[in-house]
Amino acid sequence: MTGPRTEKFIIPIGPQHPALKEPAHFEFSVDGETVTSASVRFGYVHRGLEKGAENRNWAQALYLLERVCGICSHAHSTVYALGVEKLAGVAAPPRAQAIRQILLELERLHSHMLWVGVAAHEAGFDTLFMYSWRDRETVMDILESFTGNRVNYSANVLGGVKYDLGPAQKDSILTGLEYLEKRLHYYLKVVNDDQSFLRRTRGVGTMTAEEAENLGAIGPVLRASGVRRDLRVDAPYLLYADFPITMVVAAAGDLQSRFVVRVQELFESIRNIRALMEKLPDGELSVRFPRKVKAGETVSRIEAPRGGLFYFIKSDGGENPARVKVRTPSLRNFMSVIVGSVGHQLADIPMILSGIDPCFSCNDRTIIVRRDANDATAAPADSDPRKDSAA
Amino acid sequence: MSDIPAGLPKAWTNMLEGLKRWSRINSPWAIHFNSGSCNGCDIEILATLTPRYDVERFGIKLQGSPRHADVLICTGPVTMQARDRLKRVYDQMPDPKFVIAVGSCATSGGVFQGCYNVAGGIDMVIPVNAYIPGCPPRPEAIIDGVVKLLGSLQPKKVVEKTG
Amino acid sequence: MTTESLLEEAVALIGDKAGAQSVPEPGRIDLTVEPGRLLECVSALKNAQWGYLSAVTGLDLGAQDGHLEALYHFCQKAAVLTLRVSMPRENAVVPSICGLIPSATLFERELMEMFGVVCEGTPDTKRLFLSDDWPADVYPLRKDYIVPVPAPRPEKGSTE
Repeated sequence: MTGPRTEKFIIPIGPQHPALKEPAHFEFSVDGETVTSASVRFGYVHRGLEKGAENRNWAQALYLLERVCGICSHAHSTVYALGVEKLAGVAAPPRAQAIRQILLELERLHSHMLWVGVAAHEAGFDTLFMYSWRDRETVMDILESFTGNRVNYSANVLGGVKYDLGPAQKDSILTGLEYLEKRLHYYLKVVNDDQSFLRRTRGVGTMTAEEAENLGAIGPVLRASGVRRDLRVDAPYLLYADFPITMVVAAAGDLQSRFVVRVQELFESIRNIRALMEKLPDGELSVRFPRKVKAGETVSRIEAPRGGLFYFIKSDGGENPARVKVRTPSLRNFMSVIVGSVGHQLADIPMILSGIDPCFSCNDRTIIVRRDANDATAAPADSDPRKDSAA
Repeated sequence: MSDIPAGLPKAWTNMLEGLKRWSRINSPWAIHFNSGSCNGCDIEILATLTPRYDVERFGIKLQGSPRHADVLICTGPVTMQARDRLKRVYDQMPDPKFVIAVGSCATSGGVFQGCYNVAGGIDMVIPVNAYIPGCPPRPEAIIDGVVKLLGSLQPKKVVEKTG
Repeated sequence: MTTESLLEEAVALIGDKAGAQSVPEPGRIDLTVEPGRLLECVSALKNAQWGYLSAVTGLDLGAQDGHLEALYHFCQKAAVLTLRVSMPRENAVVPSICGLIPSATLFERELMEMFGVVCEGTPDTKRLFLSDDWPADVYPLRKDYIVPVPAPRPEKGSTE
C-alpha cells in the first residue's frame, strides 16, 4: 500500500497468553487491523517422542505415544496399535475392535464438545463454554466408568483392549448419550440461529473447497468446505465397514460451518456407539502378542477428532520399533490458518485459529531422544545440545 | 512486607499483614502456564472452572496476566523453548508468589524424563511450593492441592487436614 | 474405484519416471524415485489430481548403509502411494516440492531439522520444532544421535 499512514506491526501472540491453553508463537503482520501475512513457530511442546519410541520396546512405546496428546490419546494409541498389529500379523479380536471404536467415538464426543466450549470462549460466549463443558462432564463420567480414568484412558494393549463393557457400563453409556443428544440439539440451534454468534462466525475465515485442499486442510475443517474426505468412510478400519458412519459435510467453508460440522458429527458418533453396543461381538478382549515384531514397514491411518492421523511404523525384526513417524492432523491445518488469515481482521485471528481445533501437543509430538542406562557411549562434547543450558 | 509503611504501631502492622494474608488466601488470583504438556492436565485445570467443579467458589480466579497473579499453576515437563518464558512469567509475578506444579510431568518430567528437549519438571527451573501428581490429576485433586497450599499459608494454628 | 485400480492408475501416471516398485502391504505401493525426478512425479500426480500429500517421513538407514531416505506419502481413499527418495548421508539433498504443494513447507522444515536433509529451494528454512539455540549440525532423528544423560534432579524440589 502507498502513503505514509501505512504501518506494519508484528504482533507476537504467545507462547503464554490467555486465549490458548497451549503455547505457540505466531507472528501476524498487520496493516491497521488487517492481517497481511502470518507465520508460525512451534516447538514449545516438542518433547521428543519419535526417538523415544525407538529406545523402548513395542509395548512401552504404546504408553509413550498415548501421551502425545491428552485430548486424543486413544486415537494415537489405537493408530499405533493397529499398525504394529498389522506388522506382527496379529488381529485384535472383534470385541476388542468394537470397544476400541466405541472409545474412539466417545473421544470424538469429548473432544468436539471441548472445542465448542473453547471456541465459544474465544468468541466471548462464556455461557456456551460453561454449558458445553458441563455437558461434556457426562462424557467424562462415561469414560471414567468404562476405563477408570477421565483422560489418558490407556485402554489399548497390543493385541486388544484392557477393559470390558459390562451391563452397568452399557446402561450408564446409553443414559448419558440420551442426555447428550438432547443437548446437542440445543447447540445445533445456537450455532445455526443465534444472531450474535453468527455475527462472529458467518463468513469468517472462509475457505473454498479448492483453497482448503490446496492449503492442506484436513478433518472437520476440510469437510466444512465441502470436501468429502473421512478415513472412516474412505479407508474403514476397526468395524467401520460393518458399522459405518455417514460423512458430514457443509458447503459454506466458514467458521460457522466448522461449528455445524462438528456438532453434527457428534450425532453420528452417538448413533455409531449405540449400534455397536447393541450388537457388541462376544469373545476375548485380547490375544497374545509377540515380543519381537516381524521386520517390515506399515502405514496406519485413522480419523482422529481433528482429522486424519498418520503413523508410519518400521520394524527391523526386534523388540523396539526402528522408526515411528507421527503426522498429526493439526500440522496440516496450521498451514491453512497461516495462509487463510491474510486479509482478515486481527480480532478474528483467535477465532480462525480455534476453527481448526489446533492441538499443539499433537503437533510438536516430540522426539524423545533417550539414552539407555547401560549405554556407556558418551556423546561427543561438541554435539551436546545441553552444554549451553544450565539444567 | 515492604508495602506496609514503616513506623506504624505494631498492632496496625499486624492487622494489615493479616488482612493481606486473608485476602490472598481467600481470593488468590492464579495464572496458568503450559510448559510443554500433552494438554491432559490443562484440560482438567480448565474443567475446574466449569460448573461441576466451579473452583471460583473457593475464591480462586484464573486470569491472564502474570502481574496480577498470586499463584502460578504450571503443567508440562518444561521444554527448552518454554523454559525462558516460564522464568519470565515467574519474574513478572509480584511477591509473594506461589507455584503449583500440576501433573507427573510438571513434578518430575513424567513419561518424558530424560528427553533432550525437556528440563524434567518445573522445579528444575523455578521454585515450586506444591506438587499435584497424576497423569492427569482429577479436577478434585487439583482443587485439593490448591486448597492445601492456601491452608499452609495460614498462620501457625491447627490446620484441618483435607481429603 | 477399488484400491487396486487406484494404485494402478498412479503407477500408470509415473511408473516410467520411477525405478523399482514394491508392495509392502495390501493397499500400498512404494516407488523408488531419483531425487532429480521427484518434481516430475509429484507434478504428474498433481495434474491428474491423484491423491493428496499426507505426510513426509524421514528414515536413517544407519551409518553402515550410508543412506537417508525421504518418503513422500500420497493418499487417495484407501490407497497409499509412497515415493522413496534415497540420498547419501553426507550429501542428502532433494528438490523442494513447495512450488507444487505449498503446504509441504512444514513437512520439509521438519525433515531438514531432524535429519539434516537439504530441501533445495524450500521457501522457509527456519526451525520448526527444535529450539533456536539447538546446535546447527545436530540431527536428533539420525541413528547416531545419542541423548545425553539428563542433569540430576535437585535434592529438594520445594523451597518452603
